[in-house]
Amino acid sequence: MNRTKRGLRTGASFALLEHARNHLALVLVVVYIPLWLTLEHVFVTPAPARFLLRATGRTVTVDGNHLTMVSGAVNTVTLIVGFMMFITTFKSLAFDRRLASAGYPRTFLLLSKVIAMTVASALIAGYATAVICWYWDPVRPGLLALGLFTATVAYGGIGILLGAFLRNELAALFVIIMASLLDTMLQNPMSNTGADKDGLQLLPGYGPTQVSVAAGFTSTDTPYGHLLLGPLWFLLMWGLGTAAFFARTRNHLRVPRSTQPTRRLT
Amino acid sequence: MTRSPHALRVHDVHKSYRSRRVLRGVSFSLEPGTLAGVVGENGSGKSTLLRILCGQIAADSGSVEHGGSLGYCPQETVLNDSLTVDQHLIWFRTAYGLEGTDRAGELLEELGFAEYRHTRVDALSGGTRQKLNLTLALMHDPDVLLLDEPYQGFDWETYLRFWDVAARLRERGRCVLVVSHLAWDTQRLDVVLRLRHGVATPGESDVMRAGATRGADR
Repeated sequence: MNRTKRGLRTGASFALLEHARNHLALVLVVVYIPLWLTLEHVFVTPAPARFLLRATGRTVTVDGNHLTMVSGAVNTVTLIVGFMMFITTFKSLAFDRRLASAGYPRTFLLLSKVIAMTVASALIAGYATAVICWYWDPVRPGLLALGLFTATVAYGGIGILLGAFLRNELAALFVIIMASLLDTMLQNPMSNTGADKDGLQLLPGYGPTQVSVAAGFTSTDTPYGHLLLGPLWFLLMWGLGTAAFFARTRNHLRVPRSTQPTRRLT
Repeated sequence: MTRSPHALRVHDVHKSYRSRRVLRGVSFSLEPGTLAGVVGENGSGKSTLLRILCGQIAADSGSVEHGGSLGYCPQETVLNDSLTVDQHLIWFRTAYGLEGTDRAGELLEELGFAEYRHTRVDALSGGTRQKLNLTLALMHDPDVLLLDEPYQGFDWETYLRFWDVAARLRERGRCVLVVSHLAWDTQRLDVVLRLRHGVATPGESDVMRAGATRGADR
């Protein structure tokens, strides 16, 4: 196996292991997602909600209870992945710096986190979709999972950015909770009758929510453009976080490590 | 590649944190096979100097040259709590581009924590974490080793083992620079650099003055 492949595989597998050993996140995934969606299923009114679904360009009337569950799923998965990515970025900064100064490529460190986040996000989005399908039948569950996945990666990127700049776990938790709550509340016509107003497209939850709602209640239109909005948010946030990471892990010695003699040990 | 006769050369390094001038022109050079120490009071700039020497932070002015590969052991343990000791070794083996972890295995034995290879770091004692911290800096057998109070949390026996390891590195031609605030450590050093008022004053250790042979001070 060449060095690049081995290096990336090592980084990605350990990054995944780190997520798997994050017990708080695991508890949140296993317990919080079904609890939240069950409470919404039990207590939210099924009264019809009528609104303009921009992803399809049509005004739709849908079951309010189901609509709130979709919105709730977006909320829970974004909270969990956002905080997971914050914690892993926040806690590993000094360790990553040490690895980088030992010669581990910084791009591998960043790619490893993205690979681990993608795998974790896919599993969490799939799990949340399965919980929704337990209560009712979304029209296109595969697209719903994809919509939730784009929501997780958008907030995963926000978590990485916060991890690069905030030095306080409580502050990050607060920012992620408030951002996710505000975002999903404003996108949901049940909590905001003006949810189809201009301007809401600028929020990170817009694209994923539009895709998820279209998946839940329509059978014809696939909003490819909206599918890209979540990943676009991720790239923007990840890019800023990456710039900070490169600045903080820079080697200030004038002689680059690559020109230094190295010794191979067996 | 042409090797410098100096393992480490530091010339006129200055560093300030806002208006506080921590280093005001530190200069010294060390040859291969030297066991050197930087001593000074708390806040005298020892850790700042080492962080500049390893490239972690930039000096405001001055220059630093290394004659070979570098190993750095930070004062605080920098580890990943989710991973085991072995997983740390695997990741750093990849980082250093090593074929195996034999040297790391030797260090585990020498420092007396081989039994914890498969234990997660968050379950280790402070002293054992520090041993792993040190092992990660040593496992690629660097030419120049920068150690920032590497034995914090060590029991007396491990502390003595550490100095055995350091003496053996010196015998093999490695340059070891240890930051310390312990006065009795200076007896073990070839060169002592006293950091005071932002300037390092080089001086011979008690051992050198007495003309003792290297290794006799273990």
